[in-house]
Amino acid sequence: MQKITLGTKNVSMEFPGVKALSDVDFSVSTGEIRAVVGANGAGKSTLMKVLAGANPGYTGEILLNDKPVEIRNTITAKKLGIQIVYQEVDTALIPTFSVAENVMLNETVLHGSHIMNWNKLYSSAQKVLNRLHINVNPRTLVQNLSLAKKQMVLIARAIQSSCNFLILDEPTAPLSENETKELFDLVERLRSTENIAIVFISHRINEVIQICDRYTVMRNGTIVDTSEVTENTTSAEIVEKMLGRSIEEEVSKEKVQLGDVMFEINNLSGAAGHVKDVSLHVKSGEIVGIAGLVGAGKSELCKTIFGAYEKDHGKITLHGKELNIKKPSQALKNRIALVPEERRKEGVLVSEDVSFNLSAASMDRYCTVSFINRSKVDDNAHKYVDELGIITPSIRQQVRNLSGGNQQKVSVGKWLAADCSVYIFDEPTKGVDVGAKQEIFGLINQIAANGNAVIYASCENSELLNIADRIYVLFDGEVRAELNTAETSEDEIMYYAVGGKNYNTAQQVAVNSGGNSYDNK
Amino acid sequence: MTISNRAGKKKTSQFLLDWAAVIALVVCFIVFTLVKGKSFMTPNNMINILRAMSITTVFGIAATVTMSTDGFDMSMCTLASCSAYVFVSMYLWHGLSLEMSIVVALIVTMILYQLTMFLILVCKIPDMLATCALMFVHQGLGQWYIGGGAVSTGMRQPNGNPPARVILGEDFSAIGRAPLIIIIMLVCVIVAYIFLEHTKHGRYMYAIGGNREAAKLSGIDVKAYRYLAGMITAVFITIGGILVASRGSSAQVGNSDGYFMQALAAVFVGRTVGGAEKPNAIGTLVGAMLVSTLENGLTIMAVSYYILPAVKGAVLALALIAAYAGKREQ
Repeated sequence: MQKITLGTKNVSMEFPGVKALSDVDFSVSTGEIRAVVGANGAGKSTLMKVLAGANPGYTGEILLNDKPVEIRNTITAKKLGIQIVYQEVDTALIPTFSVAENVMLNETVLHGSHIMNWNKLYSSAQKVLNRLHINVNPRTLVQNLSLAKKQMVLIARAIQSSCNFLILDEPTAPLSENETKELFDLVERLRSTENIAIVFISHRINEVIQICDRYTVMRNGTIVDTSEVTENTTSAEIVEKMLGRSIEEEVSKEKVQLGDVMFEINNLSGAAGHVKDVSLHVKSGEIVGIAGLVGAGKSELCKTIFGAYEKDHGKITLHGKELNIKKPSQALKNRIALVPEERRKEGVLVSEDVSFNLSAASMDRYCTVSFINRSKVDDNAHKYVDELGIITPSIRQQVRNLSGGNQQKVSVGKWLAADCSVYIFDEPTKGVDVGAKQEIFGLINQIAANGNAVIYASCENSELLNIADRIYVLFDGEVRAELNTAETSEDEIMYYAVGGKNYNTAQQVAVNSGGNSYDNK
Repeated sequence: MTISNRAGKKKTSQFLLDWAAVIALVVCFIVFTLVKGKSFMTPNNMINILRAMSITTVFGIAATVTMSTDGFDMSMCTLASCSAYVFVSMYLWHGLSLEMSIVVALIVTMILYQLTMFLILVCKIPDMLATCALMFVHQGLGQWYIGGGAVSTGMRQPNGNPPARVILGEDFSAIGRAPLIIIIMLVCVIVAYIFLEHTKHGRYMYAIGGNREAAKLSGIDVKAYRYLAGMITAVFITIGGILVASRGSSAQVGNSDGYFMQALAAVFVGRTVGGAEKPNAIGTLVGAMLVSTLENGLTIMAVSYYILPAVKGAVLALALIAAYAGKREQ
């Protein structure tokens, strides 16, 4: 098989206000499994989208076997044999179609005759599935498949067309251990039987070491390193390259006198198996961080506590009293607040005005026998707009017209108005700029200082180190470690977040032998 | 719920849910035969059932095609009323031949459907809202055209001129009677079935209905196919309107309007047939047959005429339970 090389030369990509890629030189050849790793926002996905034709605004050159090619749309990329499987598999599948039709969709559009040949379609699809050893019935409707199988259907679709470069964007994030293993078997098989390069984006460093031949580390839109994976490669080494520097945050946790344990969770399991046996406690005035990678179960944990996901078993106690929370309305009655991750979808009512949003969680207080007292609602709105520094032309402004940071402040303000005692924040700084971030940190500090319990879930470890008193690290739905912020480091959090079991001994061994004992065995 | 016990539960109940409409149909036949076998299970009565369901089925097919691309047309049957006015007026007032009357009705309907497509595809108004507005437009335009009264034999044109024909021809009436009306229905179903299931154009429509974005990224011209679906719908709407007029021997004001909900019911009942999970021609036929059989059987059993709509509603509700109750919550 002839080796084909795909590369970029001085590729840059700019989004309004952000330089997502600057002068990236990347190259990958068929017959190799390449990992691309980096922290959130390092530019991994942006680079892959450039190669897949989904970022037509790039500057620089893409080279195929050293010949420059233009990839300005996804069709061109596909014709050049570059296929990408995104993490959100549902966006690329037709749920009401059978597996076979989904696998053969591109083929049908490009070469199909007017009359469907169902026999041929099923047999061709079956052939592809057999070739890849994917065990699904081609007649099953895709909507009935698990996420892992849907992913495989997409891989089959990619392979079925001409494919020399297969990009998998965080394929393992939503998968269980067994499903991951199945996927890796498939990837190995592809490399050995097809003339193909697999580019593998992942946050899980152990997986990178396990299946990749080489890895490329990205940071702040540039490639900082490309190395072979050898027996001596350790996850600590890769994590170090990924982080490079530590981000200085101005606002950090205010020192307040911590009270007694106020909120406690014992052996909580739920969210369809995404939360396993989690125990944690929060003292009054304390901010407890929940760390973990995307898909580790942070959001699921927050929502299970709040009653939005089904709880299998476990005990939740507040002020020593056991709570029976089955749905969010009961959580609210017990004065627990959740500021959810997807603020546009779950946190604010975008088509309502600022005033209504700020009172939505505490409506009872502005009502006289179920009739809303508008002036009370507006008083409340004015108070929180001033206090939180929400930038809006008026309290009648629809929330959809505010900036991301201000929307987030509204989402937080809603719960401040509700006067709760336990506040759960799920990725509150996602997609907000640095200035707004500082203000939100200030708010959270203030909430804790008022003697409330705060749970703060985030995958930005540097933020957690700044704001939290203690940090629980989640991996695969379980608590891997409980760390005191004062005594830990980003490296240690990352070590547990990628599945490590014992940082201290690992470090000891690493120092002694320089071996790869960071791996999670 | 874990994946394994969900799968187990599925195995036992999925089959029943998938074939719920067909099972219900069979049960209806058995029960009615046992109770009123002598009057129910006769060739004549079977033809009655088929004839009674044919108009609903044709409108159901029109709705099936629209809904295959995830579209929706509330104004379907008001437009059919317009087709009927044009059809009958061409035949009676202007003395065109039956064939020419059909052709003119077809052309006018398709022209009127351009407006629907304009609002939906160019102005990007959600289907439901656009067609809701058009419903009134059709009603108004149609009544203005026929001068507020019906188009039937023995009536003058709105401008006072005498009609070109005073009686309906035998061929006109034959369309609305068995066996022709049944044959027309079956042809509509078969044509729609072959188009939707066995041509790639039909599959594209389903792909668009299933996931518009994915369809677009697979290289399907989404707009063109939504337009094509609209035009095919217009053809079936015209056929429906002609059947209604022929069956009623006239074009009464808004006489197709009432078929909309029934047609919709047929499509929804048919959605689940055989685990298709999408509107499909055969399913629509089964759905229409179920409603028609129930109506027929209950009438024979001397169940009050007034209660029949409630029965139809209950059947629809049951079908929807079969379609949605099995879905897991996200």
